[in-house]
Amino acid sequence: MQCNYCERRCEIPEGKTGVCRMYTFSGGNIIERFPHRWSACSTSVIESMPFYHVYPGSRCLTIGTASCNFRCSYCSNAHIAKEDPELQQEKMFNIPPVELVAMAKRMNCRSIIFNVNEPAVSIPSLIETSREAEKAGIMMGCLTNGYMTEESADILASIFSFFNVSLKGLSDNFNKTFIGIGSSEPVLRNIKRLATDRYVEITTPVIQGENDNELNSMAEFIAGINPSIPWHVFRLLPEDEMKDKEYPDISFINNALTEARKKLPYIYFHNFVGSDWVNTICPSCGSVVIERFSLGCGGDKLKTDHTTEGCCKSCGREIHLL
Amino acid sequence: MSTAIIDARGWQSSFDLKTGEKVQPESDAQRIVKEVLQKHPYPGDMDKASNRWVSDTALELIENYTPRFVFLSYAAQYFSLRYNPMTDENRSKLISEALNEAKRFIELSGYTPIIVGTGDMTPLIGNIDITRLEGLALCTNWSARYAGLYEPSDKDMTLLNSHPFIEKIIPREEIVRLFNGTPEQAQRVPEFLMVARKGYAFKALSPTMKVPVMTPSDCITVPVFIPGSDINDITGIRDELEKLTAKKNIALIILEGAGVNDFPLPYRSCINGKEWFTYETGDAQYLTISSGEHRFFDYPKGYKYYDETDVNNDFPFSGYFKSIPVNTFASSFPGRSIAVGNKSMFMHMVTGADICIECFSRNMFNQGTMAVIHRDDK
Ligand code: SF4
Repeated sequence: MQCNYCERRCEIPEGKTGVCRMYTFSGGNIIERFPHRWSACSTSVIESMPFYHVYPGSRCLTIGTASCNFRCSYCSNAHIAKEDPELQQEKMFNIPPVELVAMAKRMNCRSIIFNVNEPAVSIPSLIETSREAEKAGIMMGCLTNGYMTEESADILASIFSFFNVSLKGLSDNFNKTFIGIGSSEPVLRNIKRLATDRYVEITTPVIQGENDNELNSMAEFIAGINPSIPWHVFRLLPEDEMKDKEYPDISFINNALTEARKKLPYIYFHNFVGSDWVNTICPSCGSVVIERFSLGCGGDKLKTDHTTEGCCKSCGREIHLL
Repeated sequence: MSTAIIDARGWQSSFDLKTGEKVQPESDAQRIVKEVLQKHPYPGDMDKASNRWVSDTALELIENYTPRFVFLSYAAQYFSLRYNPMTDENRSKLISEALNEAKRFIELSGYTPIIVGTGDMTPLIGNIDITRLEGLALCTNWSARYAGLYEPSDKDMTLLNSHPFIEKIIPREEIVRLFNGTPEQAQRVPEFLMVARKGYAFKALSPTMKVPVMTPSDCITVPVFIPGSDINDITGIRDELEKLTAKKNIALIILEGAGVNDFPLPYRSCINGKEWFTYETGDAQYLTISSGEHRFFDYPKGYKYYDETDVNNDFPFSGYFKSIPVNTFASSFPGRSIAVGNKSMFMHMVTGADICIECFSRNMFNQGTMAVIHRDDK
């Protein structure tokens, strides 16, 4: 039977699994193999996900599962995303959604964010979690590679109120070489779809010499949907199969963003300690409206939120915030 | 003002350590440090060259700053021991290699060493899952043997009291009494502190699934190489430093993951805690060594770290530290001092040295290096 959770649309024979190894075909249905099993469950501040324009400074409960439908050569969670999920189960947290949500409440979390691997590989558990979260008045958000099917995009939009979609590269060649997929088309389609009724931020890790030439085209694409979408441009941290590669040059990438900055007011260049480009600047008057600390690698933090009721204190311009 | 200089590989910037505000480096010390950072990129926590980086960085800094006291921490073997299964023989070999690196530093620098092992590791036998309690249970800062417990239900207490892998559950009052805590310090101590039996580790909320294969043992004593001294407690090291630095240049060297079972030098077996409490490697143990007094309360085991780190923006580059710990040896030492270590954003807080250089790793991702200049007026 065909699994339609992501665009790989794996044909799964009875008792077997697809590419991500997270679903099987049993009893006439595609079912989740490891429900309520979490690879991570912790608290963090929302900036470190990163979400820069969603409830700045708020605390979230972060969760993830195992495996992925992508095979990125620079995965920063390879020990979770690339390993056989079956072999991971013993190490994982086994927490039913109702307890997960209770934990989030106990720790005063404003949201629950799925941020380790791809949510499309664990949709049934996330549906259950979102039902419990809704009862408790807690919002859910996620980081996703955006490669879900159109049907799944609708389901994920019903689970999550806010998304950070990874737009890794545009060209087929880049996607084949570094990600293991044929095309970015489904990702672009899903970004457009999610942005229609959900809050969206976008993240692009830059591999110097490989996808920095696409930054302007990406900016144009984002601006075409909504120029207020915040865009996180990451300096790639050489990890996994790219461990021996050079760290990309910060000044070079920053210069490469010059044109893009004219199209998008909320571009952030970070994922390294001490970045100068993590503050939100008012698009109208140029005042700094939100200041942040850049600690790299999932450690960013709000410094000061200068907005008043979501608007620039100097000129009153509304800042795109959830 | 303490200045942090961060080198994110080809990108250096300087900050006020406390506020995180950008500053322009101007002093000679700042220029020296920037050059040292540029010349010595960090190879990574699990890289073979990681300990060599500690020695080489320290030697370079010594050449340029001529300190009288050097505080070094070699931690690469600790990360390997923690995560890679290995035989006893290989474990001893790893500790010996770390010591050889320290010896290379000693030979090249000519400093008189005091070498402290942070304690033996023991194979992880099993986990104690504390994620599904009705109350809240927390492990903090790499701790595995201790967990804090808050608002446990009767059901939780029945379960935990009869748990075969839990050695003790200590109420807050008992901890406060043991370390003579003030009412203010008591507020940050968990309602109960749970202690795991040797070989067991608590499985609490965690952002990563990395499971250790070795866990800190219950180290009642740790080895200290300190020729000519008769100390028998790690709180005695501070006084020895006072005496020895009056006569010669001293290097206090911490060998992570080395305990009395593996220590490859003659040593004094020094008490590593108080009554039932033994230190694991971490801030409390380092601070106890460098201050000569028990330091449970700076960041109590199992405290509600997120209530402090999420809301307090001071010292944004210093991890969970929210102030500079007081009474460290180097902070009151009149001569020049430096510290170098590969155990993440740590040395600048626990040593108090004039200039500290450390790797900047988050969850073992190599972000570069950080130097902190606390003083440049000596
Ligand atoms: S979610 Fe997994 S099984 Fe389903 S189509 Fe995608 S890769 Fe295949």
